[in-house]
Amino acid sequence: MNRPMTPDETTRQALIALIPRLRRFARVLTGSVADADDVVQASLEKAMVNLEQYQPGTRLDAWVFRIARNHWVDDRRRAHNRMGHDDIGELLDLAGDDGVAVVEASAEARMVRAAVDSLPPEQRDVVALVMLEELSYREAADMLGLPIGTVMSRLSRAKAALAKRMTAEGAVQ
Amino acid sequence: MSAQFTDAQLAGFMAGTLDDEALIDAIEAAINADPALAARAEALAAGDTLAPLVREAFAPVLDAPVPERLIAATAPHAAEVVDLAAARAAKSAAPLPTPANDTGRGSWRWPQFGAIAASLVLGVMIGGPLLTGGGGSAPAGGSLVLASAEVDAMLGSAPSGQKTDLAALGEGEVVLTFRDAEGRLCRQFTIEGPAGGASDALACASSGAWQIEAYGRRAAPAGEMKLAGGDAAPAVVAAVDGLIASDPLIGTDELAELAKK
Repeated sequence: MNRPMTPDETTRQALIALIPRLRRFARVLTGSVADADDVVQASLEKAMVNLEQYQPGTRLDAWVFRIARNHWVDDRRRAHNRMGHDDIGELLDLAGDDGVAVVEASAEARMVRAAVDSLPPEQRDVVALVMLEELSYREAADMLGLPIGTVMSRLSRAKAALAKRMTAEGAVQ
Repeated sequence: MSAQFTDAQLAGFMAGTLDDEALIDAIEAAINADPALAARAEALAAGDTLAPLVREAFAPVLDAPVPERLIAATAPHAAEVVDLAAARAAKSAAPLPTPANDTGRGSWRWPQFGAIAASLVLGVMIGGPLLTGGGGSAPAGGSLVLASAEVDAMLGSAPSGQKTDLAALGEGEVVLTFRDAEGRLCRQFTIEGPAGGASDALACASSGAWQIEAYGRRAAPAGEMKLAGGDAAPAVVAAVDGLIASDPLIGTDELAELAKK
């Protein structure tokens, strides 16, 4: 029980700590928590199998996020008629929150998620990385293998689409 | 070059308030060609009012308890090394689950795989590290050679998407065919047992024989909303991801490659 932590065990613990962010990232990409968890599970298994490919000192989160996104891109290619559905409410139910304010907040949150879920995949990539993970444009461009101006224009179009949809539904003025 | 766009245009580009699609494309192209313009645009970006709303909307995922299966997915991969004698003992022990009556969940553990091997009339050659509970992929070279006539026939000739009767094993279907970086033909397939339990495997053709690269039991029954490939056991999906080096082969291309194998 008191074995010293090996480098692999240290990385494993760091991966476990990343799971919540990885789930959120995958949820934005896939459109449902259920699909996201499948992607996260496969990504973690793949990361552990390929641990020797991770270079210590580089960002573990960027490495495993890239694995997750590549997995999802391949998965989508194989099963292209998947349909996401917003099941985050089920997580909330489990948490046992209640009250009018929570219900109203979650109604707005559901509407915001519906707006994000309606974006095309290439815009969801940049929303997940820049808006949620708060990566710089440069970092997002490197992760996606895109020029920085393309990342900016995708986010520009994503913001326009989100604002249009939210305004229509009364979430923002 | 940068001077062709006004500050207002660049600020609108960053904020997502431009309606002119052609202008958005022009700014994108100019920024891609000019790092100084990228820096100028970033400096003109105002606070993002949408980002906090989006972060709040997805916050429940960050706060939710992490499912056990995701933590289990980080279990060290080759921790459980089973020697030949243990494998034989497991194989001869009875009764053991077979694909037909074992409806439990999770990936195949070694003793079950021994039984499955026996019932499949799989010729099993053992080498290299074996599986953990999380399923796994067998290292190339030291792995499992398939010798079930029905499965072998399916892998050798059935096109992707065609259901194939595998006699006592149930029903099989190849879901993906591709070549790996070494040029081997690889096929991901599913076997649905008569009792409904489904398993996935990846086999690659090596010296004319199909060698199992990875296998695992389905975490969930195949649903109607998804195609077969999407629900596959993670160990198999991971192995496919690790090996795939061509586009999926389909239609006449697939049959032509199978003829070559």
